[in-house]
Amino acid sequence: MDDGELGMLADTLHKTMSAAAAAETPNVEEALAELGWLEMLDEIPYESTALVFRLLGETGTHAGVLNDVVLHAAGRPGGGTVPLPFTGGRWVLWERTDHHGTAVDGELPIRTTGAGEQVPLAEGRRALGWWLAGSARAMLVLARRHALDRVQFGRPIASFQAVRHRLAETLVAIEGAESTLRAASDDLGCLLAKAAAGQAALTAAKHCQQVMGGIGFTAEHDLHRHVKRVMVLDGLLGSARELTGEAGAAVRALGRAPRLANL
Amino acid sequence: MSTVADSPMTVAEFRSSLQSWLADHDLTPAPDHSLAGHIEQMGRIRREMYDAGWMRYGWPSEVGGLGGPATLRLVVAEEVLGRNLAEPGPYSMMEVLVPTMISYARPELAAEMVPRYLRGEETWCQGFSEPGSGSDLASLSTKATPDGDNWVINGQKVWTSFAQFSQRCVLLTRTGSADTPKHQGITAFFVDLDSPGVSVRPLRTMHGVDEFCEVYFDDVVVPGDRMLGKPGDGWQLANDLLPFERSTCFWQRIAYLFTRMDRLLTDAPDASDAEIGAAYLALHTVRCKSAETQRRFADGAKLGAETSIDKVLLAGAEQRLYDTARDLLPGVLELDETPWRSEFLYSRAATIYGGTAEIQRNIIARRLLDLGKE
Repeated sequence: MDDGELGMLADTLHKTMSAAAAAETPNVEEALAELGWLEMLDEIPYESTALVFRLLGETGTHAGVLNDVVLHAAGRPGGGTVPLPFTGGRWVLWERTDHHGTAVDGELPIRTTGAGEQVPLAEGRRALGWWLAGSARAMLVLARRHALDRVQFGRPIASFQAVRHRLAETLVAIEGAESTLRAASDDLGCLLAKAAAGQAALTAAKHCQQVMGGIGFTAEHDLHRHVKRVMVLDGLLGSARELTGEAGAAVRALGRAPRLANL
Repeated sequence: MSTVADSPMTVAEFRSSLQSWLADHDLTPAPDHSLAGHIEQMGRIRREMYDAGWMRYGWPSEVGGLGGPATLRLVVAEEVLGRNLAEPGPYSMMEVLVPTMISYARPELAAEMVPRYLRGEETWCQGFSEPGSGSDLASLSTKATPDGDNWVINGQKVWTSFAQFSQRCVLLTRTGSADTPKHQGITAFFVDLDSPGVSVRPLRTMHGVDEFCEVYFDDVVVPGDRMLGKPGDGWQLANDLLPFERSTCFWQRIAYLFTRMDRLLTDAPDASDAEIGAAYLALHTVRCKSAETQRRFADGAKLGAETSIDKVLLAGAEQRLYDTARDLLPGVLELDETPWRSEFLYSRAATIYGGTAEIQRNIIARRLLDLGKE
């Protein structure tokens, strides 16, 4: 698939997922299946995963496609479910239905389950990293719009340096995380990228929530959906905090800091 | 030695042949840890590596170079700094000074002067900041007045790194009349620091390395053919430095910080995973970002406001690394004579020099997030 075809695919996915979000039917499980998600995953696993997961974040839609990425990495057929490790030694099942779950983000059909088999984690972590980065971008878009529209003391709050700097910090965190995602090619690289993306999403949640003030705390505004989603995504396959510790352990065991990105 | 400019040698082959040359040539610094010692070592590295060709790759033949992509300079920097053969500060000055001379000096002047610098025969400095012009560089007031074929310079610079060791200075001055717009009234000169009327006074700084100087200009006469570019080109010259500072200089700094991370792993074997992990993650993140910037620059992209992100990430990673070192080596920085002490103190400046962290966030907010005016 060349760049032009990938661009067209990106457009189609973006339109479909944005439409689902606008129609308040954010579960895009079926739409993705119709667009040939499993075939994409077979043919261009890296590109399709980065694209689909980023767009899930940016549009605020969701689907249990993490199952497919993990199953694909394990050499097993996609379409079903597999128990997924969660932070704190917990395990969850991400069902392929339209039911609401009991997680903090109730839109996701996620429930806790018993310990499953060990599964390969790198590809799933990278995929979740893209979702977290996409969610962080979605929060930044909302907070930026609010800062430009909201007038206090006779001027948009975007003109206040304290507000501008929080939004700038958010962009720095997202851009840094996206660079680690593009560079992630081995286990340690994917682990670091998920940690960076989780950290970026939590940074975005904190700063954007603050910039949005009262409205961001209401259920009528969309911000809270992204905030709760990144809490769940951060916990899946290892939180930023856990993975940062694991990276430290790996580096200490090596006795040297690996230079993963090279010219 | 075969030359990559003439033969299809890959970057990897270049690196491995440099590595074997370095294995055969002992460039270990003398045990002199003074600033003068660092500058002398820098001169020695440049001289020996220029004579062997290494210091000439990635620069055009017009200024004594052997051509090839700028990536080759990065490889040389990584190998030199990765072995702690030179200090990163003096080393990275080359990446801003030489491109300035190539772009703005008369071709004959660049051809005469640049080889002297690359070969370590001379040290140069950059006179930009003034007591009244830090973040607001465009307000600088050091005055250059035309006098026949010459210009006469009066004023004061500050934070001029290595001026006390330098033979020449790339100097920004104010020219034009009172109603010249401030960005159009800045002109650059290449000034001999042994000119009558120049005095240099090192500043004492908190990290104990007197790298920064005040430089005073009292009726200093500079020939007109030492102007860099045309009258009024100075602001553009200062902005043209930015892509080099933000690409190659940053990559060198990152390479150096990775060697300090390695050192920390050795010096603090009982460190906590969380703290080491967080310091490493920050360094890895800026490395990934900077690698992309290097590739874009090598492909001919024009670097701009987006590199403020690299700057914020780098300053943050640097301070985190040294904060971590202080936490993991309790009492050591405070009580022992160790290089960590001076490096920790120097890292406090990472969010100040080269455009403060606040200025970078202002640029990100205005130019990248399009938040309008403050």
